[in-house]
Amino acid sequence: MEYTRKLSEKLSVEQVKIELLNTAYGNSNTFLAKLDPRTLFVWYLFFGIVPWFIHNQVILLGMFFFMIATTSMSKVSPLIILILSLGLLGQGGYLLIASWFFGGDITVILPLLILTLKLSIISLASITVFCSMDPEKLSDGLLKIGLPGQVSFSIAYGYRMLPSLLEEYHHIFLSFRLRGKAPEKNGLLYWRSIIYFSKIAVLSFYPLLLSTTKRARTTVEALETKGSFYGFNHPEVKKIKLAHLSLRTRDYTFLIFSIIYILCVFSVGNNI
Amino acid sequence: MTEQILIENVTFKYPGGELPVLRDVSLTVNKGDFIAVMGSNGCGKSTLGKLLNGLIPHYYVGDFTGKVTVNGLLTTDHKVAELSHQVGYIYQDFENQLVSPRVLDDASFAPLNFGYHDYKDRGRQSLATVGLTGLDNEFIWQLSGGQKHLLALAGVLSLDPDILIIDEPVAQLDPYHAEETYNILKKLNEDFGKTIIVIEHHTEFIADYCNQVVLMEAGQVLWKKNTQQALREVNQLLDSQIYPPQVTQAAHKIGFLEMSDYPITLAEAVSSFPCYLKNTSNKSVPDSKNSDQLESLIKIEDISFSYKTINRSRKKVLKDISLTINRGERIALVGNNGAGKSSLLRLITGLVKPEQGNVIVHGRNTRKYSPEKMADLVTYIYQNPEEMFIEDSVRKDVEFFLKARKVPDYKLIVERILRQFELTDLQDRDSRLMSGGQQRRASLAIGVAMNPSVILLDEPTANLDIATRKHITELISSLGDQVGAAVVATHDMQLVAEWANRIIVLNEGEIIHDGTRDSVFNNLQLLEVAGLKPPQILELSRRLNMSQLMYTVDDFVHSVKREGTSYGIYTKTV
Repeated sequence: MEYTRKLSEKLSVEQVKIELLNTAYGNSNTFLAKLDPRTLFVWYLFFGIVPWFIHNQVILLGMFFFMIATTSMSKVSPLIILILSLGLLGQGGYLLIASWFFGGDITVILPLLILTLKLSIISLASITVFCSMDPEKLSDGLLKIGLPGQVSFSIAYGYRMLPSLLEEYHHIFLSFRLRGKAPEKNGLLYWRSIIYFSKIAVLSFYPLLLSTTKRARTTVEALETKGSFYGFNHPEVKKIKLAHLSLRTRDYTFLIFSIIYILCVFSVGNNI
Repeated sequence: MTEQILIENVTFKYPGGELPVLRDVSLTVNKGDFIAVMGSNGCGKSTLGKLLNGLIPHYYVGDFTGKVTVNGLLTTDHKVAELSHQVGYIYQDFENQLVSPRVLDDASFAPLNFGYHDYKDRGRQSLATVGLTGLDNEFIWQLSGGQKHLLALAGVLSLDPDILIIDEPVAQLDPYHAEETYNILKKLNEDFGKTIIVIEHHTEFIADYCNQVVLMEAGQVLWKKNTQQALREVNQLLDSQIYPPQVTQAAHKIGFLEMSDYPITLAEAVSSFPCYLKNTSNKSVPDSKNSDQLESLIKIEDISFSYKTINRSRKKVLKDISLTINRGERIALVGNNGAGKSSLLRLITGLVKPEQGNVIVHGRNTRKYSPEKMADLVTYIYQNPEEMFIEDSVRKDVEFFLKARKVPDYKLIVERILRQFELTDLQDRDSRLMSGGQQRRASLAIGVAMNPSVILLDEPTANLDIATRKHITELISSLGDQVGAAVVATHDMQLVAEWANRIIVLNEGEIIHDGTRDSVFNNLQLLEVAGLKPPQILELSRRLNMSQLMYTVDDFVHSVKREGTSYGIYTKTV
């Protein structure tokens, strides 16, 4: 009982909010966070796509270890890792069960493991990159590589709104609890409670949508007076906004190191 | 004096609106004015503001006739972007005006968008002007309400506009921060030469800070006068649902002064009302507490509470609090923003559990019962009514609790409550689309429908115009008979003085006083420490050395009339 209470405290909405914000904004001091967004884009372009086309287990393992290193360098929140592991295990597990069900045997496991390995590499690469860029940086990076101002601004602004939205959602959720009636008995495996909570979790979205629409009016007016639309249409504004972005030695070092490492992994992998 | 703003015969109707919001409005504002726009909810004050920064007619393309000139620029010929260099607008819901996650980024957002190379310096400078320094890299959601308001102000100041429009600057602030905000506006007005327009109905602030007052009603400007003259128009203000300063009301009600001599500030009142010798036999109101007959409803035992901040450190909000709440008590929980008032209320609802200690309501320990169970006994009315609206009509929201519990004849109960809160005509409306006062009534109705033993209200009178506030205050007073005990967390000292029979003062998470209005308002040091500002009339009775503190204007008037006749003072004054 004590244990479930502790667990439920860890998984409270407050906690999720804090973890999300930390994932988004909290890691600005790591080595990776100091890199230029373009460096991270290029890096991600490679590690997000290439693993799909590689079947050599040694190379994949080499990449996997590299990803573990970068992920730990970027100080990712434990919650994210937990979610990722659960997702991967679930994915692999269900494929395994499905294949056994259709008459597969132990030989099926190996290709499944490889698939899971690929997924892990790609997921860890995504986590590394997105945890190392706060939304502002991501938005600046996208602007720099030529996306329209509106798109990049929406990303930064979306994150700015996230905590307020979560908080409001939480309030509405609690309103439901304060006025609703929880089932008297939990039922087998808590099924009654699970249905009750799932129901209000979904219902809480409707009031949230309505009140957010209302708030958005002030924001849009404020953006108009603060000149964001002026900024989108004037290239010199973009220049000033992005003046702080530059590729430094750090960026080149990181990219060169990655290339050398990958070359080594490939040569080892192909010779075994 | 130069005419800086010129509004000539403007009529405006929002697209899709049925009636014009502004009707043939003409107004001039001089450079360097500190001007207040008053009027009841929905009279067109905010629309008037949007006229000046060009949102009307550029952004809201409604039916617009007339001419508006700001700093020599005709608003129809110049875009919003250009006009925002002349006029800065701070919204009532200023939180939605902040668009960047970090403080300095938000303050320098506008200059960056307009392509100033020194945008960071501009942001820094405007932060310094409003006194928000050392927080450059702080996240905006870590700021307090008062700091967010200052940041919104810094955000518009970064473009160095000549004119600032502030929509209800103090609505969400405690008395201490409210005064601080006005002092900053005063500095901007006097030292930086800004023209300041506030949309305001706290006449006591208007008397202290503004030099001109505009009265609006139903989309029209009734008049513009200098502050002294304006606030002395007691009858006309009352007709427009605006309450003049308490001292002015008192002078008006006593009726021994000419209208032109009505005091509008505390200092003026002290010299125009007769001075009484301090009567040493202090007749205090009999203490209603009688410990023999007390039936305790809530027991709070040594609770501590803290919450996690974004950088995963814990912030202590309540320290070792012990408290018993008894039947029949009307408790006011007072203290500055961040003193822990809301946290204490939420602990009683069982929504959050204390780290140490126990909260026991009617013998139920909140640790062991779910919030749904506690809701049978305790009702919590949120500070922001919108967070309580979970259905799409007032009626459905009021029924929700009763229906979930399958109460027989719930329809009759709902009908009665809707009538009590004057919501019968509004019952099918979506609560979110109603006015602030109506929303507040709906949130109270939802709470009362739960038929609680204890009702907890978080800032029930914030953000309301004064007339609506009076109405809500009456409704809260009428709750007394329906519930066992009521606890109100509030900054509204008039509500405290008129309603509470027990006052608990919180400061930095600790109870520093637990007493009655006499023990609180007589303790100057306590008021100072907790940042409480007594109602003006009470302060006046203190300065006049009256035998007893006066909590309401009526008490004051009554007492002055009585003592006045016995000492023959009427002949002495005027």
